[in-house]
Amino acid sequence: MGPLLPNGFIPFEWDSIIAIIIGIAFGFVLESSGFSSSRKLAGVFYGYDFAVLKVFFTAAAVSVIGIYYMDYLGYLDITQLYIHPTYLWGAIIGGVIMGVGFVAGGFCPGTSLCAVAIGKLDAWVYVFGIMIGVFLFSELFPLFEPIYDGYFLGNITLIDSFGWNPYWIIFIFAIIAVVSFVIADIIRKRVKKVFYE
Amino acid sequence: MNKKNIAKILSFRYMLMATVLIILAGGLLLLPKHQKQEGITSETLLSHAISNERYISTDQISHKIINGDPSFILVDVRDEKSYQTYSLPNAINIPLPELFKDAHLEYINQDQFDVVFFSNDNFHADQAWLLCDRLGFKNLRVLQGGLNTWFTTIINPSIPSEDQPLEDFERYKTRKAASMYFGVTYPDQDIDNNLTVPKPTPKKIITVQKKKKRVAEGGC
Repeated sequence: MGPLLPNGFIPFEWDSIIAIIIGIAFGFVLESSGFSSSRKLAGVFYGYDFAVLKVFFTAAAVSVIGIYYMDYLGYLDITQLYIHPTYLWGAIIGGVIMGVGFVAGGFCPGTSLCAVAIGKLDAWVYVFGIMIGVFLFSELFPLFEPIYDGYFLGNITLIDSFGWNPYWIIFIFAIIAVVSFVIADIIRKRVKKVFYE
Repeated sequence: MNKKNIAKILSFRYMLMATVLIILAGGLLLLPKHQKQEGITSETLLSHAISNERYISTDQISHKIINGDPSFILVDVRDEKSYQTYSLPNAINIPLPELFKDAHLEYINQDQFDVVFFSNDNFHADQAWLLCDRLGFKNLRVLQGGLNTWFTTIINPSIPSEDQPLEDFERYKTRKAASMYFGVTYPDQDIDNNLTVPKPTPKKIITVQKKKKRVAEGGC
């Protein structure tokens, strides 16, 4: 049966509209759960608030379990899902830059736009910084192009490239998630509390 | 239920949710695995199987061969010995057990030409069709009745009796003409044509001047 769009259960003209609806829902959930506060996001790195870790880890674990159950029952064809292509060094360097920006600024790109929407000044500065970064990258693109286009490994997953059993991975992943939540709670209790709105 | 009890249960809520998560993930691990179906869904396969377009008649195929239609590939799925004994003109031989060899896939897995499977009847050809169609190969056809029908209709068409409609006679004429194309001679054909043996044209004599042998040039 699924995915719904590629198999024509929903006409593909709807995909932009569905994307906008999902985007609005995502932004609403982010903002209403307090993710538009840079203190909450930075809390993961300083150890006083692990909400971000818990939310995204839970989301990943729940969705991967759900997807594999749907695949098992034949409601969804996993092989038809989009897998993001891997540009190895581009991903590593980009990840480091993004991580540093995350700690320093206290936003990830999505939450920064959320915070802009509710008028936070630091988010305005942050997004302005993103724009400068985009501009610099575009101007210096010929310089970065070998990294940007190179080290292409195709649309691979860990399961494909190492030949792992996906069900074991999911099980281990779920255990890691739960263990990390417990550890996060222990750390949070030891670290001095920070209060913010 | 009083508030105290609710609070008691709720204090365990994260523990409960974590257990549910792990149980669900473990359940995935314990579920009996089944072979996943490759290729098209069973509904599509069924709709292809009952479609009339699946078969091509011997009359159609002889018409195509005679007109030099380049849009199809004939695939003989019988064994090689039968193929050597008799096959349709320009047919290629892919025995059924070797259907999915790499060398053969480029013939049957493409969307440029129609692939027409045939065997002695349409039994083995149907099997080949089914296997290929399930994998999503395109433009697959089966020769209706296979080579047996080919013989009874095209190579050796039965003469219609006098009480049969005109169309049967027309069809007989077409089939007879087709069989002549495929090399059958009829007794009346020999009588009709006063075989005019074309005069043997005298051989043209082309004189080829031999190259003069070069005298070996001196060294150095």
